[in-house]
Amino acid sequence: MDPSSRMRHACSLALLSLKHLSLGVWIIVALFVISGVVLLTKSDRPSENLQMWVFSPEHRAMYAPMIEELQNRTEGDEKPIDLSLLSREAIKNRTMSGFLGGLPTADLIEIERAYIGQFFQGPQEAIGFHDLTDRLKAEGLYDQINAPSLSPWSVNGRTYGLPHDVHPVMLAYRADLTEAAGIDLTQATTWDKFFELLQPMMDDKDNDGRPDHYPLSMWVTQQDNIELLMLQGGAQLFDTQGIPTINTETNAQLLSEIISWCAGPNPLGTDIDEFTAAGHKSRVDGDAIAYLCPDWMCSIWKMHVPGIAGKMKVMPLPAFTEGGRRTSVRGGTMLGIPKTTQAFEQSWETAVELYTAPEIARELYRMVDIISPIRSLWDDPVYAEPDPFFMNQQKGLMFIELAPDIPVRSSSPYNYNAVLEIRDSALNVMEWTKNQSDWTEDQLLEQVHSQLERAQGAIERQMSRNAFTGVEAQ
Amino acid sequence: MMSRLSTNKTVFAWAALTPFILLFSIFMVYPLIQSAFLALNQTYGPDTRLFVGTKNFELLVHDPVFWTAIKNTLIYSLGSLFIQLPLAFGLALVLNSRRLRGRSIYRLIFFSPQLMGLAFVAVLGALAFEKRAGLVNRTLAWIMQDASLLEIDWLQEYIMSTLILISLWLYVGFNMIYFLAALQNVNNSLLEAAEIDGAGPLNKLRHVIIPSVRPVATFVVLLSMIGSLQLFELPYILLNGNGGPNNKGLTIVMYLYQNGFELGDLGYASAVGWALALMLIVLALIQIRMVRKEEALR
Repeated sequence: MDPSSRMRHACSLALLSLKHLSLGVWIIVALFVISGVVLLTKSDRPSENLQMWVFSPEHRAMYAPMIEELQNRTEGDEKPIDLSLLSREAIKNRTMSGFLGGLPTADLIEIERAYIGQFFQGPQEAIGFHDLTDRLKAEGLYDQINAPSLSPWSVNGRTYGLPHDVHPVMLAYRADLTEAAGIDLTQATTWDKFFELLQPMMDDKDNDGRPDHYPLSMWVTQQDNIELLMLQGGAQLFDTQGIPTINTETNAQLLSEIISWCAGPNPLGTDIDEFTAAGHKSRVDGDAIAYLCPDWMCSIWKMHVPGIAGKMKVMPLPAFTEGGRRTSVRGGTMLGIPKTTQAFEQSWETAVELYTAPEIARELYRMVDIISPIRSLWDDPVYAEPDPFFMNQQKGLMFIELAPDIPVRSSSPYNYNAVLEIRDSALNVMEWTKNQSDWTEDQLLEQVHSQLERAQGAIERQMSRNAFTGVEAQ
Repeated sequence: MMSRLSTNKTVFAWAALTPFILLFSIFMVYPLIQSAFLALNQTYGPDTRLFVGTKNFELLVHDPVFWTAIKNTLIYSLGSLFIQLPLAFGLALVLNSRRLRGRSIYRLIFFSPQLMGLAFVAVLGALAFEKRAGLVNRTLAWIMQDASLLEIDWLQEYIMSTLILISLWLYVGFNMIYFLAALQNVNNSLLEAAEIDGAGPLNKLRHVIIPSVRPVATFVVLLSMIGSLQLFELPYILLNGNGGPNNKGLTIVMYLYQNGFELGDLGYASAVGWALALMLIVLALIQIRMVRKEEALR
């Protein structure tokens, strides 16, 4: 049998088999063909427009009119801008996938601080965002930006994004309760004095077996608050070269003090969830007197806990030692320009316009209580407006006064894991205290050191796997 | 004539198999080869790659976090095996009883968590096991009349137990369906014969029902073990993407994900993946052996 007749025979056999196929199979085949054709004919060319990804609905609401105005001003010369709202995780995953796969992403991307370390994982030259340092310096922006606010977005002195915020931290407290008890909390210049002043409010007048009010909403499971407090006290988890410095005397002393607030039969801190309905109810009930409050937290309370409006006040954080730092920092966002952008100039101009415009800064404060990192904007009258939620305090000015003093933060890709290790260390030491009838400060410190040693080893092990960092495990 | 027919059949067979072979090669064989290659490298993106040989595997063996992940995954798998499956079988026995009214409704109720989806169950589970305000603690405190029970921190201190409890809700009904199907295929004449011989319910269960459902049970055990070893979404959602305090809730696949997609170390993640694959292969071999042994006994 020659090859052509063999083929004919095979085809007739195939056709014969096809006759016996059921309707369901034909439907599946039809769907396969239709979807295949659609996919093949669909253009996979990236959009010609400038793409911008943001994760906050408030940011989108603020930027949209500004972008429209910007486009009217430069009509015809530049690409239209598509502003997209994505979830934080979606932006991180899509950007990371784009960078790792060498695929195009958006032209302007807002990244949250918790995720930025992942983008700094590889060798510095492989970071997917443009190095903006020279441009920032050339245009005089570098000096205008609150200096410590650049730190989370910088690696070895090179900056890869424009900071969106400062996020200084103050102590927010239930002034209605303290004033009713005749306590002037503004006298609390140190944490020791703070707890001493609030001691009378810890009585159990309702006999439910718990203090009526805990002085501080803070627990060892809250890693963000642990980091915030340790930063306030001058802790450093990594040195300027990115080498982990977790088990140091300063870090151990600080962690030991923080744990002592939560340990023992009469803890000074309590575990109130920050973002759940149960936590908001606790705030209304006054379970805790004071809260560690970054500027962005104010808007969350205004939205979700209106029951405490007009009952709260803010003040600088009590320091760990007399004369010490009275603020800290928590959270943050940057605007980066990926190297894959085809329109760097337009992206840069848009970024600068959005992040330095006084109107946007004003809106940012009015909508979400966040102060701008641009120092020249701090004179804006919006920050001097009294805030009824905080008993008409000029809260904006108070945050601004503390802004230059916020601690410098590490941009190490391992920072997030290091903070988790610190939390685990605190939990382990708490567990140790539960098994002791009593303990001394020295014993506690010794336990903390041993846990920090463990944490340091864990981070070094992780880093030693990264051939690009050159860190060896001990 | 015979040889021509067999040649035609061969051509047709290959023609029919080609789409499968193509898809299988692209989506299974190529990624397998690529992941083996990746496991020997340290990578960052498509252009940054360093050959590190077997270093990833050496580090894996000495990595305490990896062993914690293995321990947690095995605890969960054993929980599935010894709590979930007996419960599913027990439920199937109850719901197979002709004396029970509204069996179909109960079956639907027990199966319904599967219809909601894993993410939804995880979110509901997180709410139910919340400290102080969660349904579980509130119920416990109410039953025991002890307010201190409100302070049980399930998602910090008892993560694996919580995971096992939540997955009971999700999978007991699912596995029950398999057992129900097997029970409905138990030969009635054997049961009647056992009854005539004076066998009580326990003896019938031991000598007739269990041997009859054994092939399905073996299949369910294997399926459940493989599923348990690949546990990811439930702890990932419950613990906000990390392994919880002291990695008490970290599973092997979560560790793979953390390394590959959060730290960007695809090489190490591939090594973790191969370790998991090895475990699954061993498990499959044991299963094959068990099935063969069973067949030989028949």
